[in-house]
Amino acid sequence: MIGARTLRREDPRLLTGRGSYLADHDVPGLCHIALWRSPVAHARIRSIDTAAAAALPGVVAVLTQADLDAAGARPMTHLLPIPGVQPLAWGVLAQEVVRFVGEPLVAVVAASRAIAEDAVDVLVVDYDELPPVVDVHAALEFGAPLLYPEWGTNEFLHLDYATDGLDDALARAPHVRTERFESHRIAALPLEGHGAQASFDPATGTLTVLASQQQPHQLRTVIAEVCSLSEGEVRVIAPDMGGGFGNKQHFTREECLVALLARITGRPVRWSQDRGEGLTASIHSRPQVHDATFGYDDDGRVLALSVRVVSDLGNPVLYFSGVGPSLVTVGALCGGYAIEHHGWSLSCVATTTCPVGGYRGFGQPQSHLTTERVMDLVAADLGIDPAEVRRRNLLPDAPRPFIAHGGARIDVGPLGPQLDQLLDSFQYDAWRERQRAMRDAGRYVGIGLSTLVQGTAPTQYGVAGRGGSYETAIVSVLPDGNVTVAVGSKSQGQSHETVLAQIAAEMLGTTVDRVVVRDGDTALLPNGMGTWGSRTAVMAGGAVRVAAGRVRDKMTAIAAHMGGAPTLEAVAAEAWWHAHRLPAGIEPGLSATVCYTPGRTIPIPDAAGHTSFDETFGSHMTAVAVEVCPATGDVSVLDALLVSDCGVVINPMVVEGQHQGGFAQGLGAVLYEEVRYSDDGQPQCTTLADYTIPTAIEVPRLRVVHRETHSGTEGGFRGVGEAAITAAPAALAGAVADALAPLGVTITSTRLHAHHLRALLRAAGVEPDPAAFAIA
Amino acid sequence: MKHRVKFEVNGEAAEIEAEPRETLLDVVRERFGLTGAHAGCEHGACGACTVLVDGAAVRSCLLFAVQCEGRSVQTIEAFGTPAALHPMQEAFRTHHALQCGFCTPAMVLTAIDMLAHSPNATETEIRAALAGNLCRCTGYAGIVDAVCSLAGREPVDS
Repeated sequence: MIGARTLRREDPRLLTGRGSYLADHDVPGLCHIALWRSPVAHARIRSIDTAAAAALPGVVAVLTQADLDAAGARPMTHLLPIPGVQPLAWGVLAQEVVRFVGEPLVAVVAASRAIAEDAVDVLVVDYDELPPVVDVHAALEFGAPLLYPEWGTNEFLHLDYATDGLDDALARAPHVRTERFESHRIAALPLEGHGAQASFDPATGTLTVLASQQQPHQLRTVIAEVCSLSEGEVRVIAPDMGGGFGNKQHFTREECLVALLARITGRPVRWSQDRGEGLTASIHSRPQVHDATFGYDDDGRVLALSVRVVSDLGNPVLYFSGVGPSLVTVGALCGGYAIEHHGWSLSCVATTTCPVGGYRGFGQPQSHLTTERVMDLVAADLGIDPAEVRRRNLLPDAPRPFIAHGGARIDVGPLGPQLDQLLDSFQYDAWRERQRAMRDAGRYVGIGLSTLVQGTAPTQYGVAGRGGSYETAIVSVLPDGNVTVAVGSKSQGQSHETVLAQIAAEMLGTTVDRVVVRDGDTALLPNGMGTWGSRTAVMAGGAVRVAAGRVRDKMTAIAAHMGGAPTLEAVAAEAWWHAHRLPAGIEPGLSATVCYTPGRTIPIPDAAGHTSFDETFGSHMTAVAVEVCPATGDVSVLDALLVSDCGVVINPMVVEGQHQGGFAQGLGAVLYEEVRYSDDGQPQCTTLADYTIPTAIEVPRLRVVHRETHSGTEGGFRGVGEAAITAAPAALAGAVADALAPLGVTITSTRLHAHHLRALLRAAGVEPDPAAFAIA
Repeated sequence: MKHRVKFEVNGEAAEIEAEPRETLLDVVRERFGLTGAHAGCEHGACGACTVLVDGAAVRSCLLFAVQCEGRSVQTIEAFGTPAALHPMQEAFRTHHALQCGFCTPAMVLTAIDMLAHSPNATETEIRAALAGNLCRCTGYAGIVDAVCSLAGREPVDS
């Protein structure tokens, strides 16, 4: 059961078009919402004339924030408990000032989305433009336009950390180098956009909100707060989701707006994000600049690493904050390496662009890029093989947990043997020989490595206001012997209906087809944390395992009392139908509710000043071989292999799917995708013709090799979903750098798109070779 | 102004009054409750709205309902049921060709259309044929494997 390639329970309905996504929930009288969004990056609103819009046939209501305020709407905030963070609260709709193209100002409710959009077209909004600030470094300059003048700066948060002796270590190091590494802005782009639908039942006073949302219980809390309702009066249901990828873990203005409008209008209402809104006015991710100074010895041991991180937040009106990924970045800068001296500074900066927030990987791809580029640059400088440099810097194989800078308890398996397995499985030496031969033939082939140690199953508490490290599950054996599992996690495609059923079935000694897993409904369970941060196998899987274990123990006691060897069905019938025959002290029924925590995080600094935000860690090592065409800048992946250690593998098919999909997203990010703005803050990517994600032609196959080092959490699981998307950009950057090294090109950013590489090649004096172009 | 449109939906004669701006996607979803066709981008780039019109895969978001006069439209709901999957759906399941499932019905229809015209397509041809349908979850490997299995092909890069 555990470890089997069990085919997915969710597939038959999804394959036949019977999936039930947000926009598949028509109800009688459903109204639709369209929004007037700012066409400029920064402006002060002078007036809003809604008369023509309100007069259109089919329009139910036209509302501004003043109307929402009058109806009792409460503001949104970050709930960031970090000292020094700038004060910030915002309305569900903008008021007085808009600070990015796409910021919502007026909402229209109408009988159809088409009519609502017609009404938006005839709204008259008068405004005075203010100067935009798009570049994050320009935003930090003295005299820059300020998004929030009351701050006196655009810096939303500044933090510093350094070990004692960092400066001395850098001064003493035999070699010191400083480089700037940049991760560019991208969009997670779940294929189903965000959306919400709500209806208010005046008879019961209950507001029911459907939302394409990774954390339905926490959205319930936020909606209750914004709408001035109690949590018991709000039910949030997250139906089938067309992807989430961290993009749908934030609690958005629009979700709260839908809830408010259902109450205000008394009608069922839906907002379904269109692709233009998704690309320009939802959530972007990743933009960071790292200035890294690193000292190393003649053997390639990195002795000290200091990184100044400047993180572009966009307009930081995102509940919860876009600061979260940046905090993960600075906590992960040493990655899987033992670097004695370390320090960082973090500047989180507001710009007049779309809010920045989570995307699968959540700050880790940026830190991983820096760490892996450092290893490669050290190797290149000293003429040592990059695999060997990594070996010399990896965390020692003992002790466990390894206590990282800041206090993270890293519990991965031995990394040296995993690196050996990677080099062996990838046939690294053979690839190096092939590379030499191909180079001799005039081809630009490079090999890139990533040795990723990744925190999984994190707690938000301490960095995002609330959100403990636990998950809730109810496991029940029904009277007929079938099993139901309810969890507070929420699948967005990660196969939870299958893998959680595998866990329950194994514990209860039944088959997967007799287990039904339900998630995404606040009515199922009192609270839950949702799915993000590679947490569900560890946290929900752990909760299911503990709950199923309790039910199993009870069944064992009842079976012993019954005598003989009763079937599961007989025990279930005994427990539910023949309560009077149960052993003394045993409650009727077969159901257990568990709120499981591994209890291994330290969200608030302990006596040693340590924090540790992850319950357990995964280790994933990746090698890629690429060829770059120097004439076109095209990158072709020749081979890619990942050695995955996510502890006990529940379903290898699902793990391989997570890696293949994450690899495709990481590859897309560096080769094809970039969210671009003009200097005046106009988004340049408003359709999928401008923002191009990879197709079946562009994505190579990633070979996956499993190894299993049990974690100390329930069941021995480790998180896995964010591994390949974190590894791919760093590994591909390393491979492209290796390929182009003979031409004198240095790679310091995630921009490996053909046009960027052509620019780098031209800057290095490489003239396009027509013959190579013809071959390409 | 509304226009009368007579056409066939999943084998049954249908007649509707449609506004000129209503797309085929709007109509199959809202008038017929056939929600297996999904609105992914509404500008013809992602392919999630794919249906078959007269047997050929088309983007229903780019076709106005009034253009469907006399046509035969098939949606995913005409292919297989959860209890009895179409062979293409069965292959998708076997090869873990879907995660969230949002692109899946369209991907299945595109693959069915492709193999109807080119039953022994190579992996390269299959990848090219699927390139008009975006998937953000799977990285395509399982999808390619599934279609290759029905084309009698071993994926060359596996």
